[in-house]
Amino acid sequence: MRIALFLLATWMGPAQAGWTWSDALTVNTVQGEKVFPHMESANRQNVAVSSDSVGVVWEDNRDGSPQCYLAIKPLSAKQFQPEIRLSQAECYEPVVVALGVGQFVAAWEEAGRVHARRIPGGAAIKLTEAESAQATLAVGAGKLYAAWAEQAGRFRRITVASLMATADSLRVSHVQPVEAAVPTDEQGWPALAVAGDGSVSVAWEDRRNHHTVPMVSHSPDGRSFAAPARLTDIKSGSSDGLGAGMGAMRPTLSAWGKQGVAAAWLDKRDFLSGYDVYAALDEGDRRYGRNLKVQDSFGENMVQWHAKIIGDASGRLLAVWDDARDGTPDVWMAEWNGKSFGDDEAVPAASGAGEQSDPVAALDASGNLHVVWLDRDEKRGARVRYVQGVPR
Amino acid sequence: MNVIKHLMAASCFWAAAALADPPPDYPFVNFDAGLKAARTSGKPIFLYFGRYGCAWCDHTNKKTFSDASLRALYSKNYELVYVDAESGRRLTLPNGERITETELGVRLQAFATPLFVYMTPKGEKIMQIPGFKTVQDFRDFDRYVRGNHYKQKTLLEFLGSQS
Repeated sequence: MRIALFLLATWMGPAQAGWTWSDALTVNTVQGEKVFPHMESANRQNVAVSSDSVGVVWEDNRDGSPQCYLAIKPLSAKQFQPEIRLSQAECYEPVVVALGVGQFVAAWEEAGRVHARRIPGGAAIKLTEAESAQATLAVGAGKLYAAWAEQAGRFRRITVASLMATADSLRVSHVQPVEAAVPTDEQGWPALAVAGDGSVSVAWEDRRNHHTVPMVSHSPDGRSFAAPARLTDIKSGSSDGLGAGMGAMRPTLSAWGKQGVAAAWLDKRDFLSGYDVYAALDEGDRRYGRNLKVQDSFGENMVQWHAKIIGDASGRLLAVWDDARDGTPDVWMAEWNGKSFGDDEAVPAASGAGEQSDPVAALDASGNLHVVWLDRDEKRGARVRYVQGVPR
Repeated sequence: MNVIKHLMAASCFWAAAALADPPPDYPFVNFDAGLKAARTSGKPIFLYFGRYGCAWCDHTNKKTFSDASLRALYSKNYELVYVDAESGRRLTLPNGERITETELGVRLQAFATPLFVYMTPKGEKIMQIPGFKTVQDFRDFDRYVRGNHYKQKTLLEFLGSQS
């Protein structure tokens, strides 16, 4: 019996390693019954950590129209600094990445065009003159990339840009659609990752097969992209002559390990239980292995939402999402143990009574996890909440 | 004349593409337009929450919504709204919150498509029904909603009392 318990404990070790959590903080200073913050962005890139600060972006309507905001907290500070407004006109789906010590770049959709700004200090620039939306950013190996969905004929297609960050500003150095051909159906919600070898991977939702399929491509330099491949290993096709295939949406990417890239998305292949979180791993050869179900069997019969994959150069990899298996939405996470994703763990401050949803997260250079989510209360209004986890 | 025909054909195709998979020949509109129309007309809202390429939506369209009398019944008495479960298109909820069509699915905890939601003209949810349904089912739902039975009975109680 003792041997069995020892073996069980050893086997469960990585999944039970766990985190020590800080006290949760509220990020947004303005809340109210009619103020609605959102963190719905391409690649769910709403939090970033520079060496000494964490930055969080979101959109809310406190000023009477949707506007985008950024709040920064020095890691040593006990609270976030008051947020700054990034936008002048209607703004949606902001994202943020960290450049270096206390430096961030944010991007967002404003008045139907994608904008970006270096913070602190820099002025906002328009990344494209064409109608565009669903911007995202990625940084790594000394490179900074943006991607967005840009109108090209009847549909939007995915465009990737190399950005140059100077001391106090940004400029676009190269813009390249992933595919030269005009799209035959809608493309959107791009995700980017810059791997350790400097190559850039891009994933997106694609409807060319008459249902939504996460696709992926990569480029050594952001100038020429490989032919798109499917992230999902389920083929398109009708069922008894009906429909076109299962739904899968909102791919997210993260650089992972020395040269790898990890992907996670929402997948409806088991259509009776809504979307599940699925993942696939590229260990550095720019090919994705088989699809892996992320959530454990306790989340099997429950619809999952807002999945995000987070990795770092050390090889740590985890996914966050929300689901309501305990009656109300809570934030869950599962960590890769080298063979599979381990048992689901609720983020303590983002679970329990009430509605905690829309998680985003980032790992810092020390391996600490920074989680941000929405805490909804109909009367008090929604709060943007933050907590830091330190690996035990 | 040919040019006009081509333009009309193109605009129909565009409308179909933009709305993904609603049944043909029904006056489905987007969420905001449907809510606005309902406030004016006083008609209840019938919201079809579908998914692009969804087999069961396709089955429901072909088997059920192809019925001419059902088309007439729902086109006349409801503001018909189509929402695409995987779309980033924006809509505004009755409380003023702006979300995407996908996020509406989150709020409805939609686990399957098609999902049919009946709403008051003010946009308050009366009930939501997932999965394939027959012409007779939709006739029963219509009597339950437009007869205001939902104010006194659950749908199951209503259906039980009718048999």
